[in-house]
Amino acid sequence: MSLTNRKNEILMAYLFLFPTILFYLIFWLIPIMFSFILSFTEWSGFDLSLIKWVGIENYKAILSRGSTFVNPVLINTLYFAFGTVILSFIASLIIAFMITRLPFEGFWRTLYFLPMVTTVVAIGNIWKFLYDPNYGLINGLLNKIGIQPINFLNDPKIALTSIVVVSAWASIGGAVLILSAGLKAIPEIYYEAATIDGANIFQNFWYITLPLLRPSMLFVLITGLITGLQSFTLIMVMTTSGLGGVGGGPANSTNVAALEMYNQAFVFGSWGKATAMSFILFVIVFLITLIQLYIFRKGGVEEY
Amino acid sequence: MKNKFPWISMLVVVLGAITMIVPFLDMVFTSFKGPSELKSVYYVLLPKTFHFDNYKEAFRNMNMGRLFFNSIVVSLSVTISVLFTSTLAGYALAKLNFPGKNTIFKIILITMMFPAFLFLIPNFYIVTHFPLVGGNNLFGEGGSGLATSQLALILPFAVSGFGIFLMRQFILKIPNELIEAARIDGASEFRIFWQIVTPLTFPALATVAIFTFIGQWNEFIWSLLIYTVNSDLATLPVGIQMLQSSLDPTRTRALVSAAMTISVIPVFLLFVFLQKYYIQGFLISGLKE
Repeated sequence: MSLTNRKNEILMAYLFLFPTILFYLIFWLIPIMFSFILSFTEWSGFDLSLIKWVGIENYKAILSRGSTFVNPVLINTLYFAFGTVILSFIASLIIAFMITRLPFEGFWRTLYFLPMVTTVVAIGNIWKFLYDPNYGLINGLLNKIGIQPINFLNDPKIALTSIVVVSAWASIGGAVLILSAGLKAIPEIYYEAATIDGANIFQNFWYITLPLLRPSMLFVLITGLITGLQSFTLIMVMTTSGLGGVGGGPANSTNVAALEMYNQAFVFGSWGKATAMSFILFVIVFLITLIQLYIFRKGGVEEY
Repeated sequence: MKNKFPWISMLVVVLGAITMIVPFLDMVFTSFKGPSELKSVYYVLLPKTFHFDNYKEAFRNMNMGRLFFNSIVVSLSVTISVLFTSTLAGYALAKLNFPGKNTIFKIILITMMFPAFLFLIPNFYIVTHFPLVGGNNLFGEGGSGLATSQLALILPFAVSGFGIFLMRQFILKIPNELIEAARIDGASEFRIFWQIVTPLTFPALATVAIFTFIGQWNEFIWSLLIYTVNSDLATLPVGIQMLQSSLDPTRTRALVSAAMTISVIPVFLLFVFLQKYYIQGFLISGLKE
């Protein structure tokens, strides 16, 4: 290739990358630096001249003993993330095992996947109606077998768990997809050989399925955890009515970190505190992402 | 581990499928219920007569035409923009040689490890204080910035790291000989890109398109923030939420259900027909790291 062609190629490459680089500059690099600086200030989000430098005060206040961000908000966040992941994982593992043996597997998988392509606003409202103590389907069924109506979303003891169930319900389809793909990748001949050697179904499961399915299972668990730790729109939709309220109730029992961050900024106008919260949550999420990277270093990119 | 016809498996999978479907059926049927059924303490799934006026009312009350228009414009624009920028960047990163290539690719991979919630607050400020647009001065003061038009809902999603990654991986598999041969024949770099590479990337383009479109159609939190600045920019998910506070509580359930049905059904159809591509996108978006 001649020198002009070479120059041409370099020019072309930068031209092609220009929109991308510009985008990351404006909507990625500048915001993240801006946000990081904000986390050391006190500011209401309106007039930049009223911004006040407070050093690490925001972080100290958020993480101090007796801070509501630690208890109950962070505790709720962990409960929500782990609860969703564990519930969804157990259900999808069972379904994945069974679905791979059925005719019309694709049809069943499609049904399980529908909530994954539904806006979280619809998911939240549909379940709000199902949970309704007076007119909802679930209490309607309970009523038929003589059980008193349960106030799923207004009882602080069970509100968060009720939302965890919805969140797990909505994520089963994705997990089933990954786990059943993982199951099918295990060669049938391993099971045949083991059966000839006298292994029973449980030994097959323990010594063949579990170890070979481990990457898929870890993948489902870790990505689910990362998603669960930062999700808040479902809770927001299910614990407010309309666009006005704050959400996270009753009595803060369903308040999670990302929701608290949102409310601090856009409802209470404490942008400094809110951005500090976002970085604290980010550190937690990022650590788990690094663990994922470490585990899947050999797979991932090269496989696809 | 295959065995005879698996009755227990069938039973469990079907029961599970019913719990997946019933909430959506409840949504559709509730959207047709009349006042007496909505207020009845005895729950029934199916309405006796189908009340279509819930839909009429929803259209009137929430200006559904406007919401639909905004959702379509935003989702389509974001999809086109993502396709365009992902193909360009993906091609450059896969087939062109230039200084800084690996660094740029690595940076794009790293950006994908930063969750979206981190950008909610600063990007809201940046979009509403964008200099020299929407009545703003050079320092971004005085007006509402990009929030005067749908651009506020489009630009922050205009480029996707996932899209670039997917296009790069796909274009890498196109043989270099094809590109070299065109070069020897004297084709310009742009012609090579546009006439030789792009037509070969159709499956990857379809994946990025359907995945981006559905994701954007369902997007809620950013649209909600922009709605607080400019209520003309409400999309369907914001509209559903909006509807709740504005009407009489017993009918609200039917109207909200009607609005949800209208926004959910198109996506279901899109997904069912193009699920091969969507699922590809779903799997890769998780494995990106």
